[in-house]
Amino acid sequence: MTEDFRARAVLWPKGHLFEDFHVGQVRTHHWGRTISESDTLLFTTLTLSYNPLYSNREYAKAHGHPDIVVNPLLVFNTILGLSVQDNSEIGGPFVGVGKLTYHQPVYPGDTLVSKSTTVACRVSASKPENGIVTWHTEGINQHGVRVIDFERSNIVRRRNPNGEAK
Amino acid sequence: MGKLSELTGKDNYFEDFKVGQVFRHARGKTIEGLENVLITNLVMNTAQAHFNEHAMQVAPIQMATPIRERVSYGGVNFSVIMGLASQDCCENALAELGMDNIRLLTPVVHGDTLYAYSEVLSVMDTEREDAGEVVFRHYGTNQRDEQVFQGDRRVLLKRRSHWGDR
Repeated sequence: MTEDFRARAVLWPKGHLFEDFHVGQVRTHHWGRTISESDTLLFTTLTLSYNPLYSNREYAKAHGHPDIVVNPLLVFNTILGLSVQDNSEIGGPFVGVGKLTYHQPVYPGDTLVSKSTTVACRVSASKPENGIVTWHTEGINQHGVRVIDFERSNIVRRRNPNGEAK
Repeated sequence: MGKLSELTGKDNYFEDFKVGQVFRHARGKTIEGLENVLITNLVMNTAQAHFNEHAMQVAPIQMATPIRERVSYGGVNFSVIMGLASQDCCENALAELGMDNIRLLTPVVHGDTLYAYSEVLSVMDTEREDAGEVVFRHYGTNQRDEQVFQGDRRVLLKRRSHWGDR
């Protein structure tokens, strides 16, 4: 039986390669994520991110917030994390992130969705079997308000490394 | 709750930072599955190079690297490095405003230890009289003193003149 199911199995693949991207393409990424209080406290304490806005509700309230503030680096990592399967899961390593702005605080209970627009695709000059793709990625909360945006670039392998560059 | 100012440092308000200062932060942190796998999975980053040890042993093609073990997710690495810098640079922040020029320079694997340094790139008045804006360039190194990370973080810091006795 073991041999049988393995022999019959077809890989259900994940991710995208260089040829799957073109400038102007917009993808809303899967799942979304409601950020809980335990998420942000765990993240904040594990990363030693010591600002009481992220760990002390009364301190946060005394600064005009309704609750503890979700650690902005958790917001960033969640919005990037949700974009990984579509953008970079099988492609290759991270090149850089820039032009990141936090637009609004996020609070426990908020739900975030991630969305990316492809803004640049080029073949690597030094390693032509690879491309470099840049996305503008945004995090949107349950009110439709943008809470974060940034640009990210990754190496993305080409499906046809000897084919015509797009 | 008593005075807010008793809960945070006395030497890291806006007035304390001058362009060109460089700080070495006191603590390091060793990256293990607790940081890498937990946070990678918490933020739903689906790239299994960060959480499938077996896949890395048999076919590390995705990372285009000879590394035969899980590679710590870059977002975790620099969240820890920025965390190590947080008490000194951001403990009195009213908000983190953004990031730029994020670069990951050396892969990190479980067992590596990260350290943080920060340089003051700019200090600026804002429309708020009780706070100013500071841009820090954070640097991260590993236990071999190799640079693993560089990135800029823009924060809104309390002024001692308005917050130091509240």
